Amino acid sequence: MQELYLISLCALVIFSILAILLKDLLKAALSLMAASVFLAVIFFFMKAYYAGVFEVSVVAGLITVLFVSTIGLTKGEADVFESKLPTIIFPLFFIWFIIIDILIMWVLLSKFPPLHKGIPETGSFGEVFWQKRTFDLVAQIGIIFAGVFSVLALFRKKDKNG
Amino acid sequence: MVSLFIIIPFVLAAVLPLIEKISKKFLPDLLTNLAMLFLLIYSMTFGYQIVVSNTGIRQLQWFNQQLNVVFALDGFSLFMLFAIYLLSFGVTLFSIDYMEHYGSKGIFYALFMIMVGGMSGLVLATDLFTIYVFLEVAAISSYGLVAYGLKHDELEASFKYLMLSAVATAFLLLGITLLFGLRGSLKLGDIADIVSSPNLKFATGICTGFFIFGFGLKAALVPFHSWLPDAHPSAPAPISAMLSGLLIKVSGVYALTRIFLNVFGLTPALSTVLMYLGVISILVGAITALGQGDIKRMLAYSSISQVGYIILGFGAGTSFAIMGALFHILNHALAKGLLFLNSGSVEHATGTRELDKMGGLAKRMPITAATTVVGSLSVAGVPPLNGFWSKLFIIIGLLQAKAYGFAFIAVLASIITLWYYIIIQRRAFFGKLKETLKDVKEVPFWMAVSTIFIALVCIIIGIGFWAVIPKWITPAANILELGIRYAKLYLRI
Repeated sequence: MQELYLISLCALVIFSILAILLKDLLKAALSLMAASVFLAVIFFFMKAYYAGVFEVSVVAGLITVLFVSTIGLTKGEADVFESKLPTIIFPLFFIWFIIIDILIMWVLLSKFPPLHKGIPETGSFGEVFWQKRTFDLVAQIGIIFAGVFSVLALFRKKDKNG
Repeated sequence: MVSLFIIIPFVLAAVLPLIEKISKKFLPDLLTNLAMLFLLIYSMTFGYQIVVSNTGIRQLQWFNQQLNVVFALDGFSLFMLFAIYLLSFGVTLFSIDYMEHYGSKGIFYALFMIMVGGMSGLVLATDLFTIYVFLEVAAISSYGLVAYGLKHDELEASFKYLMLSAVATAFLLLGITLLFGLRGSLKLGDIADIVSSPNLKFATGICTGFFIFGFGLKAALVPFHSWLPDAHPSAPAPISAMLSGLLIKVSGVYALTRIFLNVFGLTPALSTVLMYLGVISILVGAITALGQGDIKRMLAYSSISQVGYIILGFGAGTSFAIMGALFHILNHALAKGLLFLNSGSVEHATGTRELDKMGGLAKRMPITAATTVVGSLSVAGVPPLNGFWSKLFIIIGLLQAKAYGFAFIAVLASIITLWYYIIIQRRAFFGKLKETLKDVKEVPFWMAVSTIFIALVCIIIGIGFWAVIPKWITPAANILELGIRYAKLYLRI
């Protein structure tokens, strides 16, 4: 079980990097989907079943469908010049970051006390979602509006004299 | 109803794009300005009554059923709401004319109202995760607003801002997760219970580090400031005014102060870290601002410096320093908001932000020039303008704390601030009018009304500071001075 968990974790990191580095948008979108599936697996291992279900259905499912259909409908008109420097520097930086991260976490986690057991903010998913985190739902509506209006703003037609 | 502070911005944001189908400009302009005026008056009347009459902790009811929505409308959050609505009203007035050529006004105002609603929710929240979610509401709308002009540098600045904000929120989430693991609750009052526990000292120290990084990045403190000089100048002027005037203070300074002073408690070590971060930001921001040729970049670096003053004041922790820091939040929001709006007016009239291409504009734009003088002198801390009193309080507070070196640097940086604002005045507004600027005209009516309104508020607060302090600053300072006790007593519902 532990091995499967570690494999999922490594696969999540690898596919996430591929999603950033791959130049082909379709391959990048599919890498993101794969990363999302492995994240969902990790959620299941951690017994966060609802988070896992949302991750698979929304990110791996819905968002991938949106990405793939958008890429399918878009014509590549011209090559965009991109510097090659980030593709060399990013992996080196990332490896350095992972090593530092492992070392720091190794030290930190050994000094961390055991986590709280009698968690008061628990209950069924519905109770927590609708009754205990009600205020967050209002904010989530705000986030959805902000996202939708930002997309509308970015793809709007400007005035002729604008 | 305290919930109106959040409901009005969100509901208006939802209907504005629909209203735009009926009336492209008039109704969106009218409704947004009326809403901001109403919220401003509502915070000054109803909000103030709640703060003076009780603890201000309110649980939302729906058909006589208690919902799990708790608002903390105390002196500190009311003061922040007042600052948010005061500047936002000035900005929406300015946007009537300024946003004419940016395309859809309905979408612009919708994003603007979501940002205002996000900031309002953040200051009213009593739970760490709710603070985080509202912080994201304000942040996501601001990414769209920074990119609103759709030009290359605006899109690039928005992307850079988004990426660094994502890093900040990742650290904040990590800190929140650890605290939830340690306490099993995210209510500020519950978390205040465990921070003084000796066996959790190391763990809470780590969370403190994550929060300093996350909120420091949001507040653009040095060395977490690199996104701000790109993001703020690139946005349309009303949004630059909101970001520099309010958003960095609400999502960075307010959240940091609420958590560190009311939940974690200001320990000597934390105080030292905050004071050093503050003083480094003051110096780096001021010195870098001196070398800028772009008026908006100069103002952006100045914001880093002025946020440093605020953090220095909170870090010192004496009553005068806290009062000064709170007062400087309001004063800097108004003065910097005014200066960013005026930089937009100048760009609107001349088509450039480069100081080298300006000169003698006061002859053609007397209102803009006069209000810029007010804003500049206020930020520089020249008496009797509002910025003078807040800086004076911070410096007295530093002397109370026997932090003489910090006080000296604060005074020195104030002189540097005055220096670069004189540079703006001299190079942009005074001297001989350049040939290329002969056809420049004063800004349209509503832009002028907005800047005159904010400049007058700066002057009135400066002259009448003795009336503003007991009404707005002292109740907020009292909450912060109560420290952890306040969270333990009131923020656990």
